[in-house]
Amino acid sequence: MAERRDPGGTGGTAARAAAVAELLRVESANLLELYRKRERLAADVIAGDGRLVSVAPPSARPDAADKLRRLHAALLRCRGLMESAVAKEDEEMGGGTGEYETLRKTVKERLSSLVNVAGELVKAAGGPAALTPTSSDGSEPDDPGVFGLKLWLFRVYAEVDFWAKTAVATFRALRNARSRSARSARR
Amino acid sequence: MESRPQKQKGTGSMEINCKMLLKGIRPHSLIIMITWLLLASLFCNSTQDGNFKEDGVVHCRPQNITVTASDYIILVMWQDDPSCKSVHDVLTYELEVLIADKFVHYEEVAVTPDQIGSPHSWNWSSHLATECASHTLKLRSRSQNRTSQWKVEQIVPGHNHSDLPEVYPRDNVFEVGSSATFCCVLPMGQVLERLYLNGHSSSKWDVRNISSHTYALTVDLNRASTTSCTDIICETKTSENGACAYIGYPPADRDLTCETRDFQSVECLWTVGPNTHLAIGSPTTYQLLGSQCADGSNGRCSHKMQVDFGERNWTLTAENQLATVVLTDRADLTNRVRMFAPQKVQVLAVNSDNVRLQWEWAIRIYKDLDITCQLNISDGETHAVRECVGVGLSLAVLKDLIPNWTYTVTIRCGTSRHLWKWSEWSSSAGFRTTGDVPDALDVWTQVKGSQTIITWKVPLAKQSHGDIVDYEMTWAPTSGGRETARVMHPEHSFALSLDSIKEYAVSVRARNQYGSSSPSTITIPVLNTGSGGVKLSRTRGTNGGFNLSWSASLTASCGYIVDWCPAVGPCAVDWLRVPPSETKVNIFSKNFKEGVRYLLSIHACTHRAPVLLERVEGYVKEKIIQDRLFKTLRWKQRDMDVEVSWDPVALREQSAFIRGYSLYYWDNIGGVMNTSTDNCQATSLTAKGLQIASYTFTVKANTAVGQCGATSITATLNSLTDNLIKAIGITLATIFVLLCLIVILCYRNWECIKLKVYPPIPMPVLKDKWMTSLTKQSCHRVFVEMRHHTEAELMAIPVLHSKSEAPATDRVDRGNVSSQTTNGYHKTAVEKLRASSAAIPCQAPLLPPTLLSSSSAVKDGQLNPSFNLTPTDSNGYQPQKQKGQPEDVPENPLPCVLTYILLPQLPSE
Repeated sequence: MAERRDPGGTGGTAARAAAVAELLRVESANLLELYRKRERLAADVIAGDGRLVSVAPPSARPDAADKLRRLHAALLRCRGLMESAVAKEDEEMGGGTGEYETLRKTVKERLSSLVNVAGELVKAAGGPAALTPTSSDGSEPDDPGVFGLKLWLFRVYAEVDFWAKTAVATFRALRNARSRSARSARR
Repeated sequence: MESRPQKQKGTGSMEINCKMLLKGIRPHSLIIMITWLLLASLFCNSTQDGNFKEDGVVHCRPQNITVTASDYIILVMWQDDPSCKSVHDVLTYELEVLIADKFVHYEEVAVTPDQIGSPHSWNWSSHLATECASHTLKLRSRSQNRTSQWKVEQIVPGHNHSDLPEVYPRDNVFEVGSSATFCCVLPMGQVLERLYLNGHSSSKWDVRNISSHTYALTVDLNRASTTSCTDIICETKTSENGACAYIGYPPADRDLTCETRDFQSVECLWTVGPNTHLAIGSPTTYQLLGSQCADGSNGRCSHKMQVDFGERNWTLTAENQLATVVLTDRADLTNRVRMFAPQKVQVLAVNSDNVRLQWEWAIRIYKDLDITCQLNISDGETHAVRECVGVGLSLAVLKDLIPNWTYTVTIRCGTSRHLWKWSEWSSSAGFRTTGDVPDALDVWTQVKGSQTIITWKVPLAKQSHGDIVDYEMTWAPTSGGRETARVMHPEHSFALSLDSIKEYAVSVRARNQYGSSSPSTITIPVLNTGSGGVKLSRTRGTNGGFNLSWSASLTASCGYIVDWCPAVGPCAVDWLRVPPSETKVNIFSKNFKEGVRYLLSIHACTHRAPVLLERVEGYVKEKIIQDRLFKTLRWKQRDMDVEVSWDPVALREQSAFIRGYSLYYWDNIGGVMNTSTDNCQATSLTAKGLQIASYTFTVKANTAVGQCGATSITATLNSLTDNLIKAIGITLATIFVLLCLIVILCYRNWECIKLKVYPPIPMPVLKDKWMTSLTKQSCHRVFVEMRHHTEAELMAIPVLHSKSEAPATDRVDRGNVSSQTTNGYHKTAVEKLRASSAAIPCQAPLLPPTLLSSSSAVKDGQLNPSFNLTPTDSNGYQPQKQKGQPEDVPENPLPCVLTYILLPQLPSE
């Protein structure tokens, strides 16, 4: 129960998670921009509506542990998409060793790292390991053509970017909550 | 074309019309009608003859038609009806294509009798992708102007019917420069906003409506895809989608060349063409002799096969979706052998200047080939290539190596006959030769004052062949004994003081652990006359050095020696030897400095002493001379001209050749004026025609790098009247000062002058009254000098001189006093001595006084009674020479002095 009251788990893990999330936020934004420039995609070119990754809507008053679980589930889905995207792109377009490929690999590894550390936090919060994403729309479309593949890659990167920002916000909120509870405990 | 189907329909309706004519006809018209009927019957029969006369042809029609479509391509395959076998003429199939129910194409396919019965195919490229609109294909046969019924096939595009616009064709390959049509199929109810190619200019775009919800865009593709592909974007108000197009070039590979390395395979190389920009969409594939190349993009492909003698064609195809390029090379590959590099290169025997190498071959057949090998020998800085030839060559000896030196050697080989290409270089083998005695030294001489400096270049590592220990120097005149000296390494010079009238031979040898080098000898000529009689010229440095050239000299039997030193300051001579055939040299030295004047001497090398031919001075690069070059800048006004002068500029301050001087001058009102001279020896310049004002004068040195060394002074010019007044004033002041000096001098030396001008007239000497007269004479002198003394006092002086008790200290005191107040002295002396004047009578004879000593002592303020009283051997009396004699001492007190001298004898008495 004590862990549930401290959904951030140990301060060290939470801090590490926040740091990794922050790094991922910067790197995924860079990847998104680099890919957009590389493929000369217009900034508003995102075919299809809705998000690729969505998780079960929160309860009326979600607590920190709920938020963590939702985040972890989304990140897990992002990792799966990212791996599929990298594999598909290499298959269709051929691999490379340029700046883009390096950054793509970095984001993929950073995302994996964030999933792991978020998993530790969820575990520390005492809840179920992870929620299952409710939507599988993010899967690679059937016979999309190269243009469709490009758009899908772009959407995957945008999704990673979105959830990296969400992770940063979530961990920041967790830290603030812990600070408030620590202050109130001192009083 | 369009008329043919219409004609077929027309025939069918005529059959119906003939039956209608038989109903309800009046008798009077029967004849006419019968006539018409006959005519119509004739007409109908004649018409039916065309279609039905030969029943076999009527049934010859296409069957089993299959139509496939892919993007723009429509492929139709069909077979002949069995009845077609009876056709013995050319059978023609007619094909029509309609897009969106509009006729767009007609074509005929001719089938020869021998082809009848086999399947037929026809393909056609539509300008519009089959996904964009329905394509209708009509096919019928024709023979001898009789046609079959049309067979109609339709290709209906299958769309996803998604909520997004769909763009077609997708992921197609196009050639740069071609034109392409893309279409956008909109979802129901949506309106096209924009249809465009990303990154392409939209000026010539033609967007047209094909159907209610399909739009087409025809574009000239004039730019290759720079990213993975070029996007075609279709936008509606609510959504957008797109497709990719790969726009690039066909392969343009060329220059195929085939060869063999092992006679078991053929390897071909070619020049890969420019980037097709289709690496993703349609990468170029290569086939050599029909076999796929694993990676032909690097311009290399090999194929296993036995290589035989004789010429044949070697073919490579390079292909992408746009084109196929066939490259052919005709050659006998037995003449195109590119060997593999030698393997396992070994060093077998190493000596001081040679080494033996051995290697192996990976291909057995090489042992039967006549082989030429190149051995590349490198010492890290330089390298040399030597060649060896032999059948199955696998051994070589390298000669003329540097002792005690490290080498690496690599080998490459090729066939001696029909050398096609060298093999790759083998892996390197390293070795170090054994040591040896040093090479002979490079000796030179330099004269410094009376000494002859013998100097030599320290042997380089590749010349020492070991560790230099010392140098042995011997020198001997042409006739005379030999002398020896040993100079320890790394010293490399020795100073000799040689007899300038003899010619010497100086030899130097270097010694290392392996022995001594052969001697290097230089002859020192009889008289080192320096550079007298040799012309001195100037040169300009280039690229940090000097390019020197000179006239050939017949005396230069062993070449030339050029040495150089800074023109000022300490000099460590450096030199360079030039072969006899050359009369020019580029001199570079890491010690050269810009702005320093160097003196270069060109000597002829002879079998005896070197002969100085020429001297050259110059700068490797002239530098701007620092300002304030002229340390002492002076000016002098002459009338309305001003001469500005300076001291000659020291050579060490000249960082460039001075070619003259310029004088700039200006006052506060006017502009800058100048005058200059090209005389580099000049030490003054005159500014003429100035006005009464304050001027600034700036002197600059003219050099090749500009005017520099600026030094300024300011001068105010005076008017000529002012100068005259000033001159008069100075003259008067000078005269006044001179007069004053004369007056002072005369005043101070008045007595002397008076004595000179009016010498005292001696009184006549009376024999009986000599004493009186003598006394008078003596006292007269005193009186002359001390006019205020009374006669009675003066008369007491002889008595005073006889006083024997006067203490030395008293005399000193008196002397001191006398030096300050002459009167006091005399007065005291007179008073002191007066008391004893009666006791000692004046007995002095007329002898020369020894008062010289005494008076001299007084003059110096060192009155020493004992000294003064010491009897001296007086050689004479010379009162006039006592120029500095005190005034209180009479110049000629002859009687008194005598008495005075006698005083020391008193105690003994």
